[in-house]
Amino acid sequence: MSGAATTHEAEAGAPPAVDTRPRWRQIADLLVSNRLALFALFVLGVVLLAGILGPSLAPYGVNERVGSIVDFRLRPPSLNHIFGTDELARDVFSRVLLGARASLVVGAVAVGIALTSGTLLGLVAGFYGGKIDDFIMRAMDVLFSFPAILMAIAVVAVLGPGLVNAMIAIGIVYIPIFARVTRGSVLSVRELVYVRAARSIGASDARLIRRHILPNVAAPIIVQTTISLAFAILSEAALSFLGLGVQPPAASWGRMLAEGRGFIQQAWWMAVFPGLSIFMTVLSFNLIGDALRDVLDPHQRSAIESQGLGV
Amino acid sequence: MLRPRRVVPFVASLALLLGACSGGGEGVEEVTGGDGADGADGAEGQEGGTLVAAISGQPDQLDPHQTTAYPSFQVLENVYDTLVVPGPEDLEFQPSLATEWEVSDDNLTWTFTLRDDVTFHDGATFDSADVAYSYNRIIDEELANAFRLASVEEIRTPDETTVEIQLSEPTPNLLANIGGFKGMAILPEGAADALDLSNEANGTGPFMLESMNPDSIQLSAYEDYWGEGPFVDGVTFRFISEGTTALTELQAGDVHWTDNIPPQRLESLQAEEGLVVESIASVDYWYWAVNFEREPFSDPNVRNALAFGIDREEIAEAAHFGAATVNQTAISPDSFWAHDYAPYSHDPEQARQFLEDAGVDGLSLGLMVTNEFPQTVTVAEVIASQLGQIGIDVEIQTETFGTWLDRQGQGDFDAFMLGWLGNIDPFGYYHSQHICEGSNNYQGYCSEETDELLNQAATETDQDARRDLYHQAVEKIVDDNSYMYLYNPNVTQAWVESLSGYTIRPDRAINFEEVRLPG
Repeated sequence: MSGAATTHEAEAGAPPAVDTRPRWRQIADLLVSNRLALFALFVLGVVLLAGILGPSLAPYGVNERVGSIVDFRLRPPSLNHIFGTDELARDVFSRVLLGARASLVVGAVAVGIALTSGTLLGLVAGFYGGKIDDFIMRAMDVLFSFPAILMAIAVVAVLGPGLVNAMIAIGIVYIPIFARVTRGSVLSVRELVYVRAARSIGASDARLIRRHILPNVAAPIIVQTTISLAFAILSEAALSFLGLGVQPPAASWGRMLAEGRGFIQQAWWMAVFPGLSIFMTVLSFNLIGDALRDVLDPHQRSAIESQGLGV
Repeated sequence: MLRPRRVVPFVASLALLLGACSGGGEGVEEVTGGDGADGADGAEGQEGGTLVAAISGQPDQLDPHQTTAYPSFQVLENVYDTLVVPGPEDLEFQPSLATEWEVSDDNLTWTFTLRDDVTFHDGATFDSADVAYSYNRIIDEELANAFRLASVEEIRTPDETTVEIQLSEPTPNLLANIGGFKGMAILPEGAADALDLSNEANGTGPFMLESMNPDSIQLSAYEDYWGEGPFVDGVTFRFISEGTTALTELQAGDVHWTDNIPPQRLESLQAEEGLVVESIASVDYWYWAVNFEREPFSDPNVRNALAFGIDREEIAEAAHFGAATVNQTAISPDSFWAHDYAPYSHDPEQARQFLEDAGVDGLSLGLMVTNEFPQTVTVAEVIASQLGQIGIDVEIQTETFGTWLDRQGQGDFDAFMLGWLGNIDPFGYYHSQHICEGSNNYQGYCSEETDELLNQAATETDQDARRDLYHQAVEKIVDDNSYMYLYNPNVTQAWVESLSGYTIRPDRAINFEEVRLPG
């Protein structure tokens, strides 16, 4: 039986006859041929590096003064402090580097929460349909009806401010999107021949979902994941900006932006550099999400290829 | 002892959220509403003009006996009167509703003679029954300031213009207790039943409460006010939580007066044409304290390590950009009660030595602060980095003010930082904070010697002897690090040049009685 299933899967996922390269190679090549996506990948690589190596790369500690407060606060960018110093005479460059981790961790964990719970709910709702579907999706609608950031604020208000709670809050906010995307795709594949064939030879529900449905609805979920990463990082920035996320003296880009806001007239660098970091990271995730969508959606892809619109 | 002038947590944090989310866009609309009222009032007034003042918080309620929020008192200062008031500069008590007073030889009876030309905003005449009613309300209902009247046994009203206060023990600071701020305001007899005092007002002050809105409060001039003023048609208090926004409005001329000035803007603001910016020493103090009931902070060596480990100059500079004076006691140096006592210096070596003596290694300390008062967060960051140098790991715990107060009340903290505002008498500065069973002794400090000195000082009627007792008590408090005093901040306010007659006060009372705007 497992042999039969494998055959089906191979057939269903088989690439067009002309292209014999493995599918991941095709995707990678298409991505690489998109120069914007390449640029975005590069930016994200830098951010990721900052997130992982930040503590060893940063010239100063997160709450370390570079000198006496009176003499060294609000110094404009210079060779010693390329992003300047803040109101407590701390090195803004170091804080931006160290803040990358907070943004990335929050993004990854929050989206992780949303991805797993949302996908699971969507799979169940789409696969079983009927009352279960109604129940799950109406619950999702309720969650969806709140503006995302307001919802996150409400969750943090209940749980209390802090990095962990911010992750949970943002994660909860993005569950409905994943549930919807997944359910929609499940509905379109669950009646396809290979699924019905697997069912007819007695495959269990769990096996059907895991082996036959999930792999075939993965593409839109992957695209949604990249885009949600962008929004999660933005949400973290917003929560920290409102004082509900990362707690001082830890740095996060949103917090730095909030702190810099009061000094915008005297020290633009306090707000501009963390702001730019948020902007570049979010833009990159979005660009990659777009590129992935182009690549993973065969209809669009063929349209692009046939019209010669590839970038 | 005073805790009257604190912003109410929920309202203010909400305002902060709104301010941050909407960027002040909605505020602009409401301003126009205020300006419309301004035009209407201006037509009928003699001297004219409605003064627009921007304050940072919204009053939680307007019952002077119940509220403890500073924004409420900013408004109420102009609506209600007390028997005596602190003078604008030296804070010595002056006549207000009472014209004169005398103390019996045994110091147990104070007799106040009242003005006979005062009416309330509804037209009723002010007399001694109103005074008795107001004080009895505070005592009987155990309202926020009941402790100020703790030594009062009886309030007698022999005639309409005489009030006698009978005390159980000498109370040298009685004037400060009954006139220090508008929390001891005189209401008309029966006001609590006749009015919803949290939203309505009926005082004897220069302005009447006109309307309360979500983003502003309007006052109008009271024609029959007993004093000289008012000289403007009304006052609009607008709530602008964002300092930068308040300043922009001030610069644009939409606001005439504000006390919401980000410290880092002070210098550039002073150079600006058309604005008056004043920054004077206030009677407030900010401090931090550790939990005496928690190990290892019960060890005097550990507390000394903390006291020597911090650099007060840097802390004050970071939080207020020079607009603060470091102090190792509570009372600012220009007061009669001040004591020049500063045993600590920033000395990491000595601090490490103290830690060694205590046998403490790798100490970690949770420092509880609140974003209700952003300077506490800033100071915590500086303290964290300073104590980091002597190997103490400071974890900053930022709480909403509500949670902060709860945790303080339950003793659920290693250390916290906050300030006391608007104090006038040393009793207010030191008593309930440091006496063993003191209602504000959250840090759990208890010393027999301090208790004795404080209790003696509380009833000592000779000023110099009393000052001497407080000096002794303060030295003990500072030596024991019951509070680790940090600094006295300045009170900083700015107003448009055309506004005249306004006096900035060290106790932060905002009084617009004698203010004039050009016609």
